[in-house]
Amino acid sequence: MRGIRLQRPQINPIIVREVRTRMRGARPYVVLTVFLALLALTGVGIFQLMAQQARFGGVLLSAQVGQGLFKGLAFVELLLVVFLAPAMTSGAISGEREGLTYDMLLATPLRPEQVLWGKLVAALSYLFVLIFAAVPVFSVVFVFGGVEPLALLKALALLVMTTIFFGTLGLFCSALLQRTTRATVVVYALVLLLLGAPLLLAMVWGQFSSPPGQAPPPSLVYLQPFSALMAITTITPSAGQEMNFFGYGDPVSGLPFLMLLWPGVIHYGPAGPIVVPVYRATLIFYGLLTVLLGWATAHLMLPGRRWRPRRSDLGFVLLLLVIGLAAYAWRDWWYVAPPRMG
Amino acid sequence: MRVCRCHHKGTHAMTPAIETVNLTRRYGRMVALDHLNLTVARGSIYGFIGPNGAGKTTTLRLLAGLIEPTSGEVRLMGQRLIPGGGQRLVGYMPDFFGVYDDLRVWEYLDFFARCYGLEAARRRRTVDELLNLVDLADRRNAYVQSLSRGMQQRLCLAHALVHDPPVLLLDEPASGLDPRARVELRELLRTLRDMGKTVLVSSHILSELAEVCNEIGIIDSGKMIVSGPVEMVRRQLAGSTRLRIRVLRGLETARALLQQLEATPEEELPRLRGVRADPSDEAVVLVEVEESGEERQAALLTRLVQAGVVISEFRAQAENLEELFLRLTTAE
Repeated sequence: MRGIRLQRPQINPIIVREVRTRMRGARPYVVLTVFLALLALTGVGIFQLMAQQARFGGVLLSAQVGQGLFKGLAFVELLLVVFLAPAMTSGAISGEREGLTYDMLLATPLRPEQVLWGKLVAALSYLFVLIFAAVPVFSVVFVFGGVEPLALLKALALLVMTTIFFGTLGLFCSALLQRTTRATVVVYALVLLLLGAPLLLAMVWGQFSSPPGQAPPPSLVYLQPFSALMAITTITPSAGQEMNFFGYGDPVSGLPFLMLLWPGVIHYGPAGPIVVPVYRATLIFYGLLTVLLGWATAHLMLPGRRWRPRRSDLGFVLLLLVIGLAAYAWRDWWYVAPPRMG
Repeated sequence: MRVCRCHHKGTHAMTPAIETVNLTRRYGRMVALDHLNLTVARGSIYGFIGPNGAGKTTTLRLLAGLIEPTSGEVRLMGQRLIPGGGQRLVGYMPDFFGVYDDLRVWEYLDFFARCYGLEAARRRRTVDELLNLVDLADRRNAYVQSLSRGMQQRLCLAHALVHDPPVLLLDEPASGLDPRARVELRELLRTLRDMGKTVLVSSHILSELAEVCNEIGIIDSGKMIVSGPVEMVRRQLAGSTRLRIRVLRGLETARALLQQLEATPEEELPRLRGVRADPSDEAVVLVEVEESGEERQAALLTRLVQAGVVISEFRAQAENLEELFLRLTTAE
């Protein structure tokens, strides 16, 4: 055979290329600046709100300020991530088709999984830059106290997992629909459905349950990232039940929208309110769905005979099995059913 | 590795670079390619010519392993091609190619070199060599989107060469190029041939290729009409010759005589098929004659001179490839 001796690519070429171009031009810096400015403004706003309430005679503990800030910042950041992640990936594969570089890419020995992985990592790495650049903003919380570092880590894990899942959803739509505009429209429709449908169902659940008035089950909001975040950021008071569940000036008691996130997460039982840790199931199901979507996307990227079994399918099956088995083994950890009310 | 080496172990040096056996590709009911048997010898520049929609791009995509044939097979350098992904024996330049924005010229080549798994030192050397080959060394750090169409075309050609493939597939490389860029492209193709590459280049415009190719194939509606060395194709197709006669004096006499000969053929004269005036030159009469020897053509000249016609020019004009192509691909 003519030609030179060749070996497998070492670093994924797509990642190298995307990383080279990702930070070129003013746009990435503008997005980063706006992102951090929005977060900082949120923090200042929450602090002002609480300080105002304290001026009108409320009893305000420093810890409550910390908790309020944590909650507010985490929600805004999750909101930004949920809407940025699909935007970053919905053009990743369709863009190659539209940019007429897809054939050139397919003509190389790169495998679809490599392209997929490269695209995902490249898009997510920028989002991770946003998330991690915001960590210093979050650290303001510790000035006031009231939030344990573990809660911050949980919130970070949820942010990262949500980014990965919504990013993969964008990639899947991009590969399926082959046109960036169509993919973007569809992925946002899916995002809205994922965010809105569980909340709407939870709102009307009591009217249709038997006996009527039942609280919606936590499983209803497993895929709702904001409900999961609610479960993380609602800090259960450790010192007795007489303390207010939500402090003064807590954004949850101030913003009616956030109250919609209670059902399925906060249950009022005979022993007082409890927080169901739905975020654990969210992490697991996002993991499973990410692998499934990635698997489908890898097949969708093939030029012909897309659904013929491939060797890489084994990897995906293995990954699914590992997550599935782990979820089964630790089902007591994530499957928490609240006590039924009479 | 996508090329099966299980068969054809004794790959002969003279096996063709490209060989297709009854290659057929259907899109639904439409037959894009119908039992195509294409053979391209090693080291040749093969012009693959046909009107738009004839099946050229389908053929090239099949050869590049980007799509699978409905039936039939492709052999590259004697090895059977297993489609379904990239393979290393061909470099493929698509008809419509894209460039990545915000990527520098050297990074563009570096990216594809990485895709083929070239290690760092080799990659640097290859990028330098290719930039010199396609004359873009001075634009090394320019952004790809800032290059002219011709430069992008050359860059795209260079991308197809990063893994040093023995076979190059170029789909419509000359389309959209200005005349100077076309000349440069032809030079580049010759250089590639001198480097020992086999080049298959498609076009819907024959004149773009006629000078640089040593073999051509004409395809229409998914079927190969004729294929082989340029001269052979020309001879094979040339069913008639056109005589160009420039008449200084006695144009009317000449016309009348020729028309009479067309109506009543004579044994020792060539059989005339049509007589018409050249629209670009009033004094010229164009005569289509059936393939005939020089002997008969001389006899026709003698007859005209004897009739008192004063002739300043009399020559057989070979039908050019362009016209052959039109005749072949439109006459149905």
